[in-house]
Amino acid sequence: MTGQQPSPVLAVDGLTKDYPGVRAVDNVSFSVEQSTVHCLVGENGAGKSTLVKMLTGALRPTSGSMRVGGSPYEPSNPSDARAGGIATLFQELHVVDELTVQENLTLGMERSRFGFLVKSDLDDRVVRTLAAIEPSIDPSARVSTLSVAQKQIVEIARAASSGASVIIMDEPTAALSEREVERLFAVIRRLREADVTVIYISHKLDEIFKLGDAVTVLRDGKHIATKKLSEVAGRAELIEMMIGRSVLQTYAPRSTVTDETVLAAEGLTSELLKDVSFHINRGEIVGFYGLVGAGKTEIARALFGADRVSGSIRFKGQSVGRSPKGAIASGIALVPEERRTQGLFTSLSIRRNISVMNTRRLSSGGVFRSSDERAAAVEYVQKLSIATDSIEKYAEKLSGGNQQKVVLAKCLFADADLLLLDEPTRGVDVGAKTEIYDIIRQLADAGTSVAVFSSELEEVLGICDRIFLLFSGSVQAEVTNGPDVDPASILNVVTGGGAHAVQ
Amino acid sequence: MSDETFITLLVASVAVGLFVVASVSVPNFFQPLTMLNLVTNNWAVISLGVGVTFLLVSGNFDLSVGGVVALSGVLAVWFAQSPDGANPLSTGLGFPTWLAIVCALGGALAIGGLNAFFVVRLSVPSIIVTLGTMMVARGIAQVITQGSQRNTNLPDDFGMLGNLTMFGTSVKLPVVLMVILVVVAVFIEKKTVFGRLTYWAGENAVAARLSGIDTAKHVTYLYLFSAAIAGTVGILLASEFKSGFSNRGTLMEFDALVIALLGGVAIAGGFGSVVGMFFGALILAVVTSAATGMILSPDWQFILKAIAVFLAITTQTWALAWRHR
Amino acid sequence: MTVMSHISVQHPASTTRGDHVARFLRNYYIYFVLVAVVVVLSVANLDRFDLFERGNFLNPSNIINILRVSAPLLTLAGAFTLLMVSGYIDLSVGSAMSLSAVVYALLAINGVPFLAAFGITILVGVGLGAINGFLVARLKITPVIATLITLSLYKGVALLLVQDGVSAIKSGGGLSMPGWFNSYGREGVLVGLPMAFWVAVLVTIVLVIAQDRTLLGKYAAATGGNPTAAKLSGINTTRIVFLLYVIVGVSAALAGIARSSFMSLGDPLSGDGMELSAILVVLLGGTAFSGGEGRVLRSFVGALIIMALTVGMLTLVPAYYQTLVLGSALLAAAASNHLISRKEKAS
Repeated sequence: MTGQQPSPVLAVDGLTKDYPGVRAVDNVSFSVEQSTVHCLVGENGAGKSTLVKMLTGALRPTSGSMRVGGSPYEPSNPSDARAGGIATLFQELHVVDELTVQENLTLGMERSRFGFLVKSDLDDRVVRTLAAIEPSIDPSARVSTLSVAQKQIVEIARAASSGASVIIMDEPTAALSEREVERLFAVIRRLREADVTVIYISHKLDEIFKLGDAVTVLRDGKHIATKKLSEVAGRAELIEMMIGRSVLQTYAPRSTVTDETVLAAEGLTSELLKDVSFHINRGEIVGFYGLVGAGKTEIARALFGADRVSGSIRFKGQSVGRSPKGAIASGIALVPEERRTQGLFTSLSIRRNISVMNTRRLSSGGVFRSSDERAAAVEYVQKLSIATDSIEKYAEKLSGGNQQKVVLAKCLFADADLLLLDEPTRGVDVGAKTEIYDIIRQLADAGTSVAVFSSELEEVLGICDRIFLLFSGSVQAEVTNGPDVDPASILNVVTGGGAHAVQ
Repeated sequence: MSDETFITLLVASVAVGLFVVASVSVPNFFQPLTMLNLVTNNWAVISLGVGVTFLLVSGNFDLSVGGVVALSGVLAVWFAQSPDGANPLSTGLGFPTWLAIVCALGGALAIGGLNAFFVVRLSVPSIIVTLGTMMVARGIAQVITQGSQRNTNLPDDFGMLGNLTMFGTSVKLPVVLMVILVVVAVFIEKKTVFGRLTYWAGENAVAARLSGIDTAKHVTYLYLFSAAIAGTVGILLASEFKSGFSNRGTLMEFDALVIALLGGVAIAGGFGSVVGMFFGALILAVVTSAATGMILSPDWQFILKAIAVFLAITTQTWALAWRHR
Repeated sequence: MTVMSHISVQHPASTTRGDHVARFLRNYYIYFVLVAVVVVLSVANLDRFDLFERGNFLNPSNIINILRVSAPLLTLAGAFTLLMVSGYIDLSVGSAMSLSAVVYALLAINGVPFLAAFGITILVGVGLGAINGFLVARLKITPVIATLITLSLYKGVALLLVQDGVSAIKSGGGLSMPGWFNSYGREGVLVGLPMAFWVAVLVTIVLVIAQDRTLLGKYAAATGGNPTAAKLSGINTTRIVFLLYVIVGVSAALAGIARSSFMSLGDPLSGDGMELSAILVVLLGGTAFSGGEGRVLRSFVGALIIMALTVGMLTLVPAYYQTLVLGSALLAAAASNHLISRKEKAS
């Protein structure tokens, strides 16, 4: 192929995906050249993951078309995508720990006679493929003995030996150490040499410059540009394209922030976190901004006592961080990252969800006061304007935004002095988003401290008084929000550009 | 109307419907005594069903209850038998009856504690743990009775509790206790924090933990609660028959599970009710007694139970899917 | 290319000593347990001997006796392992075994020749397994519930096949069992061991090969280890699970034949509790409850241990200790399994 004019291996034309009320991907067209590393960047909510889901057959586009190697490509499930030559490396690993590396490589592709496995060129081929991209992995080792990075490479090798011409990698370095990242990059380069095209999605701009041949930028569901990376002037230009001129600065300085320290964390350290220290004041809204894998959720869970880390956490002078139960008792509440699996009791009614963190308030001697319980549910439904016709409605039946409000109501009901909000508006529609921001401000005005853990720049710039910028497990910089904060320099820090030049 | 109420109503109407069908088609079925017997004959299994239902709602099995029934009965008898018997099986420890009962309950709670330890601390699947403790409990009972039973050399007051008739009727104390237990359990389930914790823990264990619930402690309580019920049932049965029989309660764990499933309790946790379980018990009682009334061999009960559970599970699944379509 | 030079061949970080210890324990501890059980039984005082010859436990006739009564459990262990490796369970094996035993005895006593009776009973086993497979794999009923349903169903049918007032199918009332009925499970054909034992060995060999050399074995491990990955790799897990239930059904039928032949009657309760023994030997063999992990051969050894223990115990303590010991063994096996798994995870 090297001598020929490269032809597009994947072409996307006018691709659009509508959700009720939202156009997640809006008329996106671009093409990916063969044997390149094509990067896909954009802020959270820019439409990357929706685009990827359409490429892998997990979602059907509303309109538009895709072509692979020149022929139409309309996958309706992951197997179709694989048959079409597109393999995906998800963040969640799909290897079988109990089998050996080689057994994993051939899984689902084995040659057999009457059900008996037979030796074939396949075995040699997969071993050769693996050896070509990562010789240090022993094909006879059990996968359970491998590190996460090695498992990832096994999955890549499986995709490559299954004949995939395009491999999509979604944030593959999120869980890797620096050394492992280098190894992965070497693997990706060797894949490229072997005529495999890689679509590489990452927030870490350094990685993109190090690895990529071309880049496609998405913003608000729209295609902004597809360029050769050699033609991109540098981080600044890329960041410019990602945020445009449209970052709304809706932040108005708040007068109720105090200097009274409520929570002080010193030297939090875990597998991911590196010596994280900060403090939060009473009535303050503090933001923790960073990309996937930067350590936001880890900090939130550590403060709440859901995971143990080393270092000290003192809340109102007391040591906390041992258990969620203890955290709630001392006045900390958490809105977790995944509301359906971590926050909500989906098959219970709104009423039966709200009281969970503070049953004492509604019960005497362990018995619920039914009228109080109903009154409380009605009160919080009104307070947070949860759109429902009844407090007996199942949480399951509510929209994302209203579900999130139920989780928030649960935490508010706990009468916490410090609210930890992990991605508080993820998957929430615009209207509910604004409402949630208003609630957060009101709470802080009333003296509650709020910590917002977010990967949306607009969110932290919109509501937080102070923002900690995180990159790969450590606090890189602290920013006091105000009219002269430069979004581009913040994005530079959290994408690994170093802590200089903020403000 | 919540899904739970919907399923409970469904179960209740099936129970009533079956009852009507049985009354029409089975000779001598529609008599006051028969109807009363539907409940009174099943006091033991319904009582066990209460503990099993709470555990299922919390997402855990308890198959040890039948074994515990045997163990506590045998222990109570052994403790109460006078120490001067003619042979090993008629020789006990000579405790006063009340102390024998307390100690026997202690033995039952020990099995409950063992369940909790393996399920909560070692995270072994509850089905395997409680199958194991079922054997351990029954095994201890067999060792104490040398594989048969102890029924001699007992103080007279030992037979009192199980045979006490109430309110001048033929209704015995255990039946009244069962009714009280069901009423209290419904109250706990619907009105108390303890009941609600059971649903929270079973519906979403992760969310429960992040909401400050000590799920481990709660499940421990539930296993102790279930073992205490089973222990009491065992003692009452031992008192009724004035014997400690190591095979007593065989398959009761199975029947307790069956009536809970018939009553719409979901083994995935977080869904089900004691009232549903009660109607499930009625369904089973109507079906088995109607079958007996039609002079089917008692061996039919196994097949009828299998069919009933299968139909219950599939119709409940379909009914819910239809409701949410 | 400078990046490439950073890549050195290094051992995966997670292959620690703890991991090796855990692997070693899972792989080999069962053989040590077997040796230990045999040693303990051999040196224990065998005064209470009534079933077996007085003296040494290692006496050949003792061993033969143990292996003879072990045939049903040995037959079941392998198939049950594969099913648990795929992450599923079958609580109906005991009832399926009883039902097969009754069917086989009925056929025999009514004059059906050996091979036909044998074949028909195995077909019954296929049917029983297929019903389980249908409920679990097709109707998606939770395995525990589905097989509790069939536990009751098969048991009921087995009881109904035996006339009222009679406890089992046996010689009497003008009918008598043919000679071959008894000899299959009792008479030695090779080194003093009966056909039933050799069939158990054959079944185990077939399943060891199936586990190591066939798609079925590999896909069972994949289904239990990571169902999503298995499905994404294009594996039809529904079919694998169905097939495994059928194999367990066939093994249960063979076990039923062995048991009824040994006892020379078709007892509708003869399989009661067999599901517990099966779970016990499989856990003892180091199969993880979470699926993916487990070996047919280790479960076979586990079954030998349990039978040696059961029979050996009869020589030391009265029979009524059996339930207690087996229950305790089940809990102990579950606990040690847990400890090994934790060690594997911790490393």
